[in-house]
Amino acid sequence: MEIFPQLLANSIVAGSTYALIALGFNLIYGATKFVNMSHGAVAATGAYAVFFLTTSTGVDIWVAAVLGVCAAGIVGFFLDKTIFSPLRARKASNVTSFIASLGAFTVIQALIAVFFTSEFHTLSTGNDIYVYEIAGASITQIQFIIICAALVIFLGLALILNKTIFGKAVKAISDDEEVARVLGINTDRIIGYVFFIGSALAGVAGIFVGFDFGIQPTMGLLILLEGATASIIGGIGNIYGGFLGSFLLALVENFGIWKIPSQWKTAISFGLLLVFLIFRPKGIFKK
Amino acid sequence: MSYAIYLATIFCIYAIAGVSLNLVVGYAGLLSITHAAFFGIGAYATAILATKFGADFFLAVLVGIGITAAISWCAGIIMSRLGGDYYVLGTVSFNYVVINIMVNWDGLTNGPLGIPGIPKPSLFGFSFSSNILFLVLSVLFLAAVYAVSYWITTSSFGRVIKAIREDEEAVRVFGYRTISYKLAIFMISAAMAALAGGLFASFITFIDPTSFNVMESVFMLAIVIVGGFGNIKGSLIGAFLLVLIPELLRFVGFSADIAAYMRQAVYGLALVLFMLYRPKGLIGEYKL
Repeated sequence: MEIFPQLLANSIVAGSTYALIALGFNLIYGATKFVNMSHGAVAATGAYAVFFLTTSTGVDIWVAAVLGVCAAGIVGFFLDKTIFSPLRARKASNVTSFIASLGAFTVIQALIAVFFTSEFHTLSTGNDIYVYEIAGASITQIQFIIICAALVIFLGLALILNKTIFGKAVKAISDDEEVARVLGINTDRIIGYVFFIGSALAGVAGIFVGFDFGIQPTMGLLILLEGATASIIGGIGNIYGGFLGSFLLALVENFGIWKIPSQWKTAISFGLLLVFLIFRPKGIFKK
Repeated sequence: MSYAIYLATIFCIYAIAGVSLNLVVGYAGLLSITHAAFFGIGAYATAILATKFGADFFLAVLVGIGITAAISWCAGIIMSRLGGDYYVLGTVSFNYVVINIMVNWDGLTNGPLGIPGIPKPSLFGFSFSSNILFLVLSVLFLAAVYAVSYWITTSSFGRVIKAIREDEEAVRVFGYRTISYKLAIFMISAAMAALAGGLFASFITFIDPTSFNVMESVFMLAIVIVGGFGNIKGSLIGAFLLVLIPELLRFVGFSADIAAYMRQAVYGLALVLFMLYRPKGLIGEYKL
């Protein structure tokens, strides 16, 4: 095992997870124009749903994963219908929506801790762990699945946003919600779908983090901050930028710990965020 | 009775945090989610100086305030370049980095194990070791912070801060260096948080990084929001309600571990409900 290919492989795995978070985050930000903090808690919900299903009902891991993703999507949709949609109807400022999402995040995190305790758990596929050797780097089976899934989801989402009427409606709302509504688009319904899709993506990422590292009720905040960091690096609200930003962030983090002790990983990523915030606040792709 | 004294002291500590955070969030209009970091830096400075160097409590708190003010100056300069959503995310990240340092700088902070045995203050051989005396000291500190905050908000400096919140561009046109004003209020607020942190460390006698994480910053923000933006009296009410209500849940019969999460659920729910039904808080003077 050589160090360079391994670090590159780790970067791609981490970048794929960040990209999933950033995609959902940017999709929701694009449509609603507020930083949705509850996104992180939704990711944790997905992971805990899988944990619950596999440990107490014993369903197949794939069924559990699909249900977990749906659970995350439904929670996101539900949050939109109960909190964010009424706030939009009242034309509340984006700061108001942000604080409400922060509250939702806090409540969900607390509820997860009440039901599942704050202990650290791991999700496992139940099988033996296969390890592939590719060009001198070892990648576990789950990491391989993460990379493939991120790629498929990204291509699928790009296709949906560019080729379907739904995608056009999302773009119209991102440009100007008011005008989109005047043109006869049911903006509230479309934004509801956006919340479902974005939150389901967060759920996928949360489940992957659970398989790769493990789960804890507080996992959501770091997931969210890393997704938001990737989004800001790439240009907030821009899904392609978010994808690029995710891999840049992952590369800097993983190659950073080559020289710097690994416990400083988060400090490295937020250092990078600060550099971007100061010198290029609109990200790589300016809108 | 001792339980009531304990609660009253905790109220004083968080009221100082709430009032000082309101200066930044409510008066200057800068949504900051990093107050617990400054609270924590003050607490750590006090704890380290008192346990490792045997420094007097009041001296330790004073040095802690100085260190926190210097750090908040650096942080404030970086943050002042950010606007809107980026400002909020910048503050959250700052809080995260501070926790990261507290956990990993073992030699100084003792890492995740925390620092035990922080002494109670004493002045001219007179010790504040009993809880009732400590409460008196906390009330005095709260009164001092409240008086200074009141003075700031009614001074011409405070009026400029409020004007910046309403329309920064216009204030700049009148020739004010708005960045200096925002930096000044940010530093004053951080210094007050450090004072509360010093009290907290000495009162609880044990600190570890978890007491100063982002969720604690959210709790302090909730105090400001429940009470109301731009009204320091509101922050007293907010601190009172948010310290007291979760304690009531203890009597319902939750275990200590669960009660801690119920506290978190309570202030999270408060944030959601206030945003939905009363976004300016109980007696706020500024609407988001």
